[in-house]
Amino acid sequence: MSTTTLEPSKWKHLPPPPGFAQTPVATKTSGKVSSSSSAASYAALKEKRAWDFAISPAKSLPMQAFMLYMSGGGVQIFSMGIVFMLLSSPFKNLAAINSAFAPFAPTPSSHDKTASQVDPKAFTTLPLQKIVYIICNLLTLALGLWKCRSMGLLPTGTGDWLAFETRGSPPEIVLL
Amino acid sequence: MLTIVRFLWASFAIWTAYALHPSEAGVVDWHKALLGVPLTRPDFHRTTGAHGATRSVVLTATSNNVIGAVHPENGTVAWRYLFEDRDPVVGYKAYNDRLATLSGPGGATFRILDVNSGHLLHELHLHSADSGRLFEPVNLGVAIAFDDSDKSKDTFVLTNGHTLRRINGKSGDIVWGWTSPDQTSLVVYSKVVTTSDAIYLIGLAKSFASYTVHVSAISPDNGELLSDADVPSSIINGPQGLIVVSHEGTRGKSVRLAWLEQARIHSVALTPQLKDKPTIKKGSAYLQVHDIGLQEKGLFVATKEDGSGRVIRFSEDGALKVFWEFADSSPKYTESTYAGGLDKDGWPYIARVYWSHVFRQASAHVLAPHLAEGKGLVTGFTFPFETQKHGIIANVAVDAANPEEFRVLSRLVLTTTTGAVQLWQQDQHQWTREESLADIRVAEMVELPEPQLVASQVGIEETESFGARLRRQLADAQDFPQYAINFAKRFATGSYASASSSIAPASNDTSPLSRDTFGFRKIIVAATSHGKVFGIDSANGEIIWSRVFGLGWAAEVGGRIFPLKIFTTRTVSDGDTPQVVIVGQRKADNSLVDTVAFHIDALTGEDVSGTSIGQDILQGQDVIAGALVEAYLFQDGPTKYVVLLDEYLQVHLFPDTPENADSFHKVAPSIHLPLRTGTAGSHRLGGHKVSPEKEFTGRHIAYPIWTASLPPNEDVRSIVTRPHEPVASLGKVLGNRTTLYKYLNPGVVVVLTSTSTPSGPATSCGVYVIDGTKGTILYHANLPAAGGVCDVKAAFTENWLVYHYYDDGSANADQAKSYRMVSLEFYEGSGVDDKTSSSDLSAYSNDTTRISVYEQSYVFPRGISTITTTSTKFGITVKDILVAGNNHQVQSFPRRFLDPRRPNRKPTAEEQEEWLIQYDPLLPDDPKRVLSHRYQVARIRKIITSPALLESTSLVFGYGVDLFFTRVAPSKTFDVLNENFNKAQLVLTVAGLALAIVITKPMVRRKRLRERWYAS
Repeated sequence: MSTTTLEPSKWKHLPPPPGFAQTPVATKTSGKVSSSSSAASYAALKEKRAWDFAISPAKSLPMQAFMLYMSGGGVQIFSMGIVFMLLSSPFKNLAAINSAFAPFAPTPSSHDKTASQVDPKAFTTLPLQKIVYIICNLLTLALGLWKCRSMGLLPTGTGDWLAFETRGSPPEIVLL
Repeated sequence: MLTIVRFLWASFAIWTAYALHPSEAGVVDWHKALLGVPLTRPDFHRTTGAHGATRSVVLTATSNNVIGAVHPENGTVAWRYLFEDRDPVVGYKAYNDRLATLSGPGGATFRILDVNSGHLLHELHLHSADSGRLFEPVNLGVAIAFDDSDKSKDTFVLTNGHTLRRINGKSGDIVWGWTSPDQTSLVVYSKVVTTSDAIYLIGLAKSFASYTVHVSAISPDNGELLSDADVPSSIINGPQGLIVVSHEGTRGKSVRLAWLEQARIHSVALTPQLKDKPTIKKGSAYLQVHDIGLQEKGLFVATKEDGSGRVIRFSEDGALKVFWEFADSSPKYTESTYAGGLDKDGWPYIARVYWSHVFRQASAHVLAPHLAEGKGLVTGFTFPFETQKHGIIANVAVDAANPEEFRVLSRLVLTTTTGAVQLWQQDQHQWTREESLADIRVAEMVELPEPQLVASQVGIEETESFGARLRRQLADAQDFPQYAINFAKRFATGSYASASSSIAPASNDTSPLSRDTFGFRKIIVAATSHGKVFGIDSANGEIIWSRVFGLGWAAEVGGRIFPLKIFTTRTVSDGDTPQVVIVGQRKADNSLVDTVAFHIDALTGEDVSGTSIGQDILQGQDVIAGALVEAYLFQDGPTKYVVLLDEYLQVHLFPDTPENADSFHKVAPSIHLPLRTGTAGSHRLGGHKVSPEKEFTGRHIAYPIWTASLPPNEDVRSIVTRPHEPVASLGKVLGNRTTLYKYLNPGVVVVLTSTSTPSGPATSCGVYVIDGTKGTILYHANLPAAGGVCDVKAAFTENWLVYHYYDDGSANADQAKSYRMVSLEFYEGSGVDDKTSSSDLSAYSNDTTRISVYEQSYVFPRGISTITTTSTKFGITVKDILVAGNNHQVQSFPRRFLDPRRPNRKPTAEEQEEWLIQYDPLLPDDPKRVLSHRYQVARIRKIITSPALLESTSLVFGYGVDLFFTRVAPSKTFDVLNENFNKAQLVLTVAGLALAIVITKPMVRRKRLRERWYAS
């Protein structure tokens, strides 16, 4: 092996070193007229993407439901894997909700000084989308729990708590 | 269709899995075939084979209604014939290769058996059992004689005291019959003697204050009465004193009848005309005459008033003469027992056996009358009979050989008062059969301690020097290489203790008693009604120890001890050797009844209380001067003691220590006792409480608080209680995960009753489930009394009751006659999730009667003699029903088929989750579940079960005539690795994976390192 075998594609998202900007200089000179309209469309795009992201768990629900149906009611490695995924992914998603929505946070405009103080990772950014996202994740969780119940894994019956029941000794002693 | 096939497959798989594996037969179980305690003197019987070779067997009829033959060489059972209970043996006689038996009232049934194989050759019902006359003793009025005049093998049978029949030996048909024309007369015949001229029937006629001898002579050819005569005589003590001696002379067989009258031997010659007048033998006064089985050789024994015995011979000239006198009787000896026997050539021998108090040995004198030129030769020897172990010699049989002149070798078969049968060849002990084990009254399985680990010195570490400690530890470690090798071998080959292998110790094993890995080995403490208690190794059925019960003060008057209850008062888990207490009733011959307790160490049979000395007779303690009403084991924390109630319902404790008294005094106010009281035929069930304070007698007294509200003509036959064992689960979880809570009220008892008219058979039987604390009837079923007898058998455990009865179809014309088994379960409240907490509820709460009952009835294949459930350590394993059937087999019936919740339709998915199967009235009789497989386990009276250390396994011990032990795993041995588990494969796989890790680990490490170097 030698250094020539390096794959540049693997590292193409790295920022170019200073002074080696890939973007042509010409774009900068394209004029300030379009900059405001492009920024607006960029913000709209971001919002649309944020909405898309927010409802993405709900979109995958039918697929997951189908997978659950296919995995059957038995307690096996496959069905258990799916159920585990269904139960854990909402929590994982919710734990990472702020960083997940950070890329979609509205970019503060250079002329808007107040907006620069908005933290993209704050919970208050994109609140509507986040609430929808939470609801969708809860739907996934509900699907997982429903599956657990149908598989008999939820301790809902008295039979599940029977082993923990105790009895004392009766007040009367009967000699038999 | 597919589901049905799958279901069949599944059920088939389960069945085969439960069945006994052929490789386990005889390994996990054992069977001891017994005959029972001989009622009379056993007989040596010798048959001559085709080539002149002789075979002998020891024949005996026993108290278990069995006739059997034992090989004299090794003491094993050659054959046995089990008579039905309603068909008691009243007489038997062997002649050449056949054995004739009479059984039933008055000798209703006649059978001919082959004497060497026990095969039934002929069976003939002579009269119906109802028309049989009952005599006391039963063998009065029946007799068997063989026609020895020719080779016809015909048999003359006297039955009912007045009917004589000649039965053809080849076809088994009646040739002729003769019945006394005057049946109403008081003549009862009791002996038959055959000659070629006449058959003599000898009986007694009742006259004032005594009996008169009556003789009838009957023609052997056509059964006509030849003559009939009363012999002037006066006999006081019945037909036992009648002796008929015969002699084969040159002029045919001459017969003489002898009896004892006013201390003199009277005799009369029997001729077809019966003309002879009685003669009185002059000389000494005699006390008794003994039939020694040599009447046909003209010999019998008469004892004088000083105890010495005289052999009297019917000599050639037709007179009775004293042939020999066994002298020197003295109070130093016990009363002698006399027996006669024949050798190979048919010469008679007479043995006299007695016990010498001085030498503490038994002595035998064997007289050979034909030796020493006809003067008689006596050979004497003493033999070390162990009277502490076997009691007193009851009966003797003798067999002798005369290999050279002036030398007589003899074999003695002794039966003892404790039910042992022994064979002695001269003074050499050959074998002992403990036949009293056929009459076990109570038995208990007791856990054994763990093997003692070697710890050479404990507790001296502080004081010993460094060098000494080093030496000691090196000495302790000397076995380490062996241990390490064993461990490696065990680990590699997987040769662990197997749950299906034998646990019997090697025959030369001398290590102390200890349990095996899985606790399958226990000691069975069994007390018999013949005054002996045994410790039996459950691994192979060997007797480890045996003790004879002492009679206490009753030793002077004589008596018997009937064991009633056995309790394990200390187990291994209490930290010391296990102990048992046997509570028995002593019935002294002067009619006094006492309750005695024997406290013994279960491992050695030693007396714990210390009242008996050494290996002498086991002495008990008189607990109650009177009869026992009931006895219980009471457990208060770690201490256990026995609570006994006498007839006045006074409470006695055993052992009666101040601590036990204190403990009982504390709990006395809260004690409730359901008791069965009353006299025969009108037993009642009553609830009792115990007075909180001692009465003036110094004892607590139980007083009645309620009586079960049963109809007045209903008799409480028995009370069935639950075994004291843990309940693993408080409820039954259904398929939809709701719970049916088990009704576990600790005071519940099952009561079996019979209803009868004041004088007559039972009209119906009852099964009640009653709360024993307050008498509430929770369940009641009326069952038909088939044949006027209530024979309901019940097993009760946790909340599950199973009972078995015979339905004769009389209640409903459509109903078929069959045995039924009813399975019942009791649950709390009115349905699922209705919890009343019955196991710790106060008995006075209204909730104790809020129960729901599930019930299902099944058709059972056969009648049973006992029923029980398996029991395991924690109660997790499913409980099977074990029954001893009337087909002499022990069989298990799985709980799955007896589940009272089996649906009457196709089970739903939820019911399938519970493994419920559709109700089918017929219980499958699966031959694979016969635990006793090819053994004939005769008349099991009771089966006891006991847990092993393995939760899955239950130990089963059945006793009746035979002993049978096995172990069962109703849910398979789920807690041990399967025998077929491939341990080698597992070890190899793990080793292979470990090797792969060792090899690939450096490779991966190198690759990682290289990746880092050449990463970008």
